[in-house]
Amino acid sequence: MTTGTTGPADATPLFGPESQFSAFFDDPRWALAMIRATVLEAAHPQIGAALADNSTFVAHPWRRLRNTFLSMRLMFGADPVAREREAARLNRLHARMSGSDSRGRAYDAMDRGTRAWVVATLFESAVTMCRLSGQPLDQDTMERMYAEYRTFLAALDGDAGALPEDLNDFWRYFDRVVETELENTEAARVILYRLFDHLPAPALFEGAPTLWAAGRAVAGPLLGAVTVASLPEPYRRRAGLPEMPGARTLMQGAYLAAGLARFLPEGWINAESIIEVLSLTPGSDDPRARTVTALRARMKQASALLRLLTPLSGDADLTPEPAPSAGTGSSRRSAEKFFRQVLDQTGDGHLDWPDLAAMARELATRLDLDEPEETRLYDAFAAWWRELQAVLDTDGDGRISAGEYATAVPTLAGPALIRVAEVLFEATDKDGSGTIDADEYRTLFRTAFHRDLTTTDGTYGKSAFVGDFLSFMSGRRTNTPYDPLLADA
Amino acid sequence: MDGNGRWAQRRSLPRSAGHRAAETTVIDIIEAARAVGVEWLSLYAFSTENWNRPGTEVDYLMRLVRRVVRKHAPLLLARGIRCRFLGASDPRIPRELARDFDDLSVLTADNRGMTLTVAFDHGGRRDIVEAARSLIRSKTPADEVTERLFADHLPFPDTPDVDLVIRTSGEQRISNFMLWQVAYAEWVFPEVLWPDFRAPDFLACLHTYRRRARRFGGVPPRTNGDPS
Repeated sequence: MTTGTTGPADATPLFGPESQFSAFFDDPRWALAMIRATVLEAAHPQIGAALADNSTFVAHPWRRLRNTFLSMRLMFGADPVAREREAARLNRLHARMSGSDSRGRAYDAMDRGTRAWVVATLFESAVTMCRLSGQPLDQDTMERMYAEYRTFLAALDGDAGALPEDLNDFWRYFDRVVETELENTEAARVILYRLFDHLPAPALFEGAPTLWAAGRAVAGPLLGAVTVASLPEPYRRRAGLPEMPGARTLMQGAYLAAGLARFLPEGWINAESIIEVLSLTPGSDDPRARTVTALRARMKQASALLRLLTPLSGDADLTPEPAPSAGTGSSRRSAEKFFRQVLDQTGDGHLDWPDLAAMARELATRLDLDEPEETRLYDAFAAWWRELQAVLDTDGDGRISAGEYATAVPTLAGPALIRVAEVLFEATDKDGSGTIDADEYRTLFRTAFHRDLTTTDGTYGKSAFVGDFLSFMSGRRTNTPYDPLLADA
Repeated sequence: MDGNGRWAQRRSLPRSAGHRAAETTVIDIIEAARAVGVEWLSLYAFSTENWNRPGTEVDYLMRLVRRVVRKHAPLLLARGIRCRFLGASDPRIPRELARDFDDLSVLTADNRGMTLTVAFDHGGRRDIVEAARSLIRSKTPADEVTERLFADHLPFPDTPDVDLVIRTSGEQRISNFMLWQVAYAEWVFPEVLWPDFRAPDFLACLHTYRRRARRFGGVPPRTNGDPS
C-alpha cells in the first residue's frame, strides 16, 4: 500500500455542493446502496463485532439513520471547520469502542485498515448502484468520486494511506478483501434477515402499528432479497447466502425503478426533509407537526379500515394484543417495556455497557458536546453502570438480563444516577447560569417547554431537572420529554 | 329494537335466530333514515340491564354485533355516516369488539351525512351519574350548574334533544334510554316486532310524528277563535 499524501487542506474544493457525493444525496438509489454498503461493512469481522456490540441500529434504527445522515452532511459539507469538528467527534466516539467478538478476536473501531474498509464499501456501493441501475459512471467521474472518498477518509484519519492511491489498485484491494476477509458475521445476518422484519415504526407511524406492520411484512423480505442479490458473488458464496430464482431480476428492477426518480422534478425527493419528517413526533411544536398530525389521523383511519376488513378467522383470531391505551391511560409503563425501549439501546436483550454508552452518545450528539464535557458525561454513565452492575447483576455474567432487571424491582435511582442527571444538567446549561432556558431546553429535547412543566419564570431549575430525569430513568413516569429522546425508534 | 326473541319464538326458532334477523332491519332502517334526511339516528342495541340475560345469549350477541360491525363498516363509511357507540364501557365487552367499535368510530369520524349513535351497554341513569361526576371533578360551583352546563358533561354532548322515539313490539316503557335527552320526545309504539320492522313502517312512524303538535309544555300555538 502506498502512503497517501492528500491532506484535507489542499483537497477542500472536492467537497461542497458540487461534489459527486452531494449529487447522490437525494437519490433514492442511494438508500439501496447504503443498505448494501452496511451489509458489506458488517461482513467484515472486526466491524461486525463492533456493530453487534455497540450499535443501536436494531432497537433505534431511525434515530441512528438521522444521526448518520447529519454527520455525513457535515463531513461532505463545504465548511472545513465544521468538518474538522465532526471528524474529531467521530474519532472520539469510535475511540470508545473496542472489545472482542464472540470468538475472542479483538476489535478496535480506530483500526485504520478497518476504517478504510468502511469508506471503500461506501464508494464501491455508489459505483455499483450506478451500474445496476443502467447508468454506469464514466472513468473520470469515478476517479473524481474516488478522490472524494479518499479525502473523506483523510479527514477522519489524517491521511488516506490505508486506501490505494490509484483506482485500479482499489479494485484489486476490494476484491481481495471480499474474497479473503469477509465472513458471514452475526451483524450481517441481522441486517439482512432481522432488521427489516422487525423494523420498529418511526415516530411518524407510531399511531398506526397495523399499517406499518402490513407494509413491513411485504417490504422487509423484498429489501432483504434485493440486498442479497446485489452483493458481490464471492461473498454470497462464502457466506452461503441463498440464490433465489428471480432475485437478480428483482434487484435490477428495484435499482432501475429507483433510478427513474431522476425524471422527477428537481427537489421532489429530498432526503433531509424525508428523514426529518419521519422523526417528527406529533406533539412537538414544529410548524410541520400540524400537517403530520393530520397525516397521522388519515393513517389511523386507514389502519382502522384495514383492521375492520381483515377477515375473521373463526372466533379464535384473538391474538394477545395489549389493551388499547385509550381510556384510563396509566402513566406508569411496565418494567419490561421500559427495559426494551429505553435501557436496552442495542436491542440484544441485555443491558450492558454499550447500552449506556449509546445513551451517553445520543445525549452528547444532541448537545453537540466538546471535550472535556463529553468525557465527563461518559464517566458519569460509566459510574452508573458500575452501580447498576453491583446491584442488579445477580448471576455475575457481567450484564443484566431483562429478568434480572424485573426481579430486582428497579431501584435504579442510586447516587450515581443522580450524578448523571447533574452532569447532564451542567452540560445542557451551556451558559452556566444555573438554570436551563428555553433555547438550551430546545437543544436537548428539540421541543419547547412543556406546558405543565414545573418551570419558574421561563427557566428550568436544577432540582426539577434532576427530579424529572430520575423519575424517567427509574421507569416511574412516561410521557416525559425524555421519551422521544431515548425511547423513540 | 324489541321483539327479536318473540319473533323467533313465534317461528319456533332459537332466540339467536331472532337476533340474526334483526341485522337486516338495522341496515334497512339506517338506509331509510339517511334517505329521508334524518340527521341523528340512535339505536338502542344493548342496555346495561341486558347483561342479566343468560351468558350464552350475551356471548352470541357479542359475536353477532362484532360480525355486523365488520361486515357493514365499508358501507357506513361510503354512505357518509358518522358512527359512534354510546356506553360501551363495561369490561365484560370483549376486547376485540371494543377495538372494532373504536376503529369504526375513528374510521367514520369525519363523515357529515348522518350521525348514527349505537347505544351499546347503555343506561340513561349511568350517563347522568357520569355527568355529575364530571361536574364535581371539574370543581364547578353548585350555583353555576345549569341544565345546559349539565348537558355539556354528558357523553357525546353534541347530541341534540331526541324528537322521536320508536319502540317496536308494542312495549311501552322507557327502559333507561337516554333519559336526559328524551325529556320532550314524542313516542310511537308500533306493534310490529323489530325483525319485521321495515322502511315503510319507519316512514309511517315519521308520518305520525309530523301530525303531532309538539308543545314543549306550553299551550298549543293556535287555538279556536285566536285571531293570529
